[in-house]
Amino acid sequence: MFGLANRTQQPEKDYASCSGCGLCLLVCPVWRRSRDFGLTPLGRARALQHGAVAADIAESIQSCTLCAACEPVCPEDIALVAMTLDLRRQLAPPAAVQNVPARMEDQAAPPLAPRSSAAAVLLPGQGLRARPGTLARAATLLGGAGNLALAEDDGSDIALALEAGATVPAQRLERFLRPLRGLKTIVAADGLLLRQLQQWLPGSKIASLGVALSSLSAVRRALGASDLYVIESRAYHADYQRLVKHYDTLRADRGCAFNLDLQRIAIPATARSLAQRLGLAEIDDQVQTRWILQGRNVTRIVVESMDDAAAFAQVSALPVVHLADLADDGTS
Amino acid sequence: MHVTNVEPGTLGPCPVAPDALQGISRQQTNPARWNGPNWEEFCRAVRERGIEVRETVAARATFATDAGGTAYGLAHGVVIARSAGQVALLLQAAQQYRVPVTVCGGGLTTEGESVAFGGVLLDMTGMSRVLRIDAEALTVRTEAGIFWHSLAEELRRQDLDYLSAPLNLTSSVGGTLGVGGIDVNSARLGCSADQALALQVVTPTGEIVECSDTENAELFRRVILGYGQFGVITEATLRVRRYTPLRMHYFYYASLRTAIEDLQLLDRNDASDYSGILTIMDSAVNVLVAFDSNEREAAFMANWRPRLRGYGELGFGLRALGHYALRPWKLGEAWYLLQRKRELFPELQRAEYMRDGTMLERSVVFSRAVWKFWGSRQMVIPDLATSAPKFIEAVERGNAVCRRYFPHYTLYLVGIKLRPEHRAHYEMSCIPPDAEGWAYGCEFEPLLDDGVYSRDYLQSFKNEIYDIGVDMDASYYRFGGMMKGYIRRVFGDALVDRHLALKRAADPAMILNRHVIF
Repeated sequence: MFGLANRTQQPEKDYASCSGCGLCLLVCPVWRRSRDFGLTPLGRARALQHGAVAADIAESIQSCTLCAACEPVCPEDIALVAMTLDLRRQLAPPAAVQNVPARMEDQAAPPLAPRSSAAAVLLPGQGLRARPGTLARAATLLGGAGNLALAEDDGSDIALALEAGATVPAQRLERFLRPLRGLKTIVAADGLLLRQLQQWLPGSKIASLGVALSSLSAVRRALGASDLYVIESRAYHADYQRLVKHYDTLRADRGCAFNLDLQRIAIPATARSLAQRLGLAEIDDQVQTRWILQGRNVTRIVVESMDDAAAFAQVSALPVVHLADLADDGTS
Repeated sequence: MHVTNVEPGTLGPCPVAPDALQGISRQQTNPARWNGPNWEEFCRAVRERGIEVRETVAARATFATDAGGTAYGLAHGVVIARSAGQVALLLQAAQQYRVPVTVCGGGLTTEGESVAFGGVLLDMTGMSRVLRIDAEALTVRTEAGIFWHSLAEELRRQDLDYLSAPLNLTSSVGGTLGVGGIDVNSARLGCSADQALALQVVTPTGEIVECSDTENAELFRRVILGYGQFGVITEATLRVRRYTPLRMHYFYYASLRTAIEDLQLLDRNDASDYSGILTIMDSAVNVLVAFDSNEREAAFMANWRPRLRGYGELGFGLRALGHYALRPWKLGEAWYLLQRKRELFPELQRAEYMRDGTMLERSVVFSRAVWKFWGSRQMVIPDLATSAPKFIEAVERGNAVCRRYFPHYTLYLVGIKLRPEHRAHYEMSCIPPDAEGWAYGCEFEPLLDDGVYSRDYLQSFKNEIYDIGVDMDASYYRFGGMMKGYIRRVFGDALVDRHLALKRAADPAMILNRHVIF
């Protein structure tokens, strides 16, 4: 009953297949901040290959930001995010999330709103809910009330449990998934949840909020060559092969710059360890945001994620605009 | 069992079965583990100086092997390099307590050169910052633990690029300067180490010294291509250039000899900006050429393309079709060729790395392909480096060895333009002493796939390749670590003894990378 979240797709290859090439280091935000092999996927794989167990590398496991940048570059196709989540589950969950499964057991699922007959649903996540105006514009752009339901149960607690390595009670997961089954399109703002939804609901079209919005001509028209477009990394890397083409087309179409490195991997603007996500450690996104901005000549920062908007606002005087706010901010 | 104590700098008798290694006199080239006398005192001393030494299994296991995956060792402790001052304090203490220090950059050695068999593993990637970029003078000053790719990421923000680096994203600058480094533009720009203008080096006794061709020149000569024997490179000033995407062309040959002749023709005449050979199999050899500008490409097409004997992809495909139609018993070969074309070729032209027909990042494209198609937990890449006139014979002999040992293998061949003013750097290095104008290097890389090979089998293969080098008075890129038994055979006692005397003078306790060369 408590093991459903553990029955997500298991990696075909695990750390034992790591050949030690180190390509994951080059894209790892934890590496950029720490310059410490041990805190990277390579460090974890090497340690496990040579006799360490999860408890020996607990700091490394908890420091991973789950940005998933390492996955598309891995030549062995190791499912590195699944591997890290699996290792997290082998550790005792942090105190801050220990009672989350029990709370989820007790939680009643609110119905979909405004009506369950909509063909699409938006799972906005906490960040977007905190900005009702932006959320309303996103919902309108994506189809309006007639075509798009705004899910009140957007699985934020499930996303937190996944992140922390806590087990999601099967009953809670079923309550979350039941109303989503049969929907044509699910738009998810949370990149980690999106990755899991792709596995849980293989028949549905699962899109990130960024891709859904940036596919709209009203939004695309508002992008210009002097914009820096910041891709939300978790969602991008979860569907890299397809999305690298989506954003390449957008670049060719609008000429804007992206937070992509030379391997075409998204440099995450917010790279937070588990402790930082849980509010147990101070958040410091400046290494990442400064690196993204370094040497760039742009006049505006366009973000897909509200977390990224806050991170850039701390280090830059440039206007920071969410995609949903683009279409009516006067530039279109 | 009695294990003989071996004086650092000498090779002891080999205690394993006498015929375990073919073709070399019986010497112990796999180093004995340092057993740790004074380790506790050493750790106390360095910790008092503010240096963190990590002794957990997890920290040490991270560096248990290198890219070769055939040499395994465990350091007593790991130190992440953070500054030249910290490295200096570490080496001073290591001299005092006679604790070996093995330096690791990207860890891409294949013969165990960056594996610590006891003592300290010094992880240089902790020093990875770019310090200054001078876009007008076209130079960069960087910490030497940085990966070439990370350096490229920073340079590209100013529309700059490094001159030359190994086609491997996680090679470190310091490690490359210590051994040479080849790129597909080496026939024009020389080995990667040639782009170094100045270095900050921490000597084995812990002095921090700036050196260049004009300042502390002797140290500069010893450290460049010095296999880490004479100091730890902590910073480097490198020449850089304006970034240009590449216009890439591939030509296909059925004969290795013809392909090499054409490659050398192009190199001698400066006909392309990039050149090299990658073989798919003996009868499918790929010459790649590339250009930084439309003008150079157009000049090549007008003047040199007609003289090349290779085919384009379509022409070669039709020729192969006819060839295999008449030889149905070779259909297995044809199938392998087809598979390779289906899997590998698209990887070299992925849309996200191309724009308007040009390749944006050659190192990204080739490095990803190398790891995807050739990478595994073991990588065996013996090589030969010869003068231009000897090259064809060396490659053909090496290719024949590959054929006997493995069903599938790839040869990677490039020219290396020599700089006469750097001849002193080249002494006892991958540059063969008789090379004039260009040296040529060939890597012989078997595709191990899912095959299971014993270490002795792989070692025997490497020995047979290296015996060709001894026979032909050539040199090698990877002559350190487990292949160091060849150093005296190929360079001779007089030269090696002279370098050993220099090493003993610079490193009295023989603590720095003690197992790599001597």
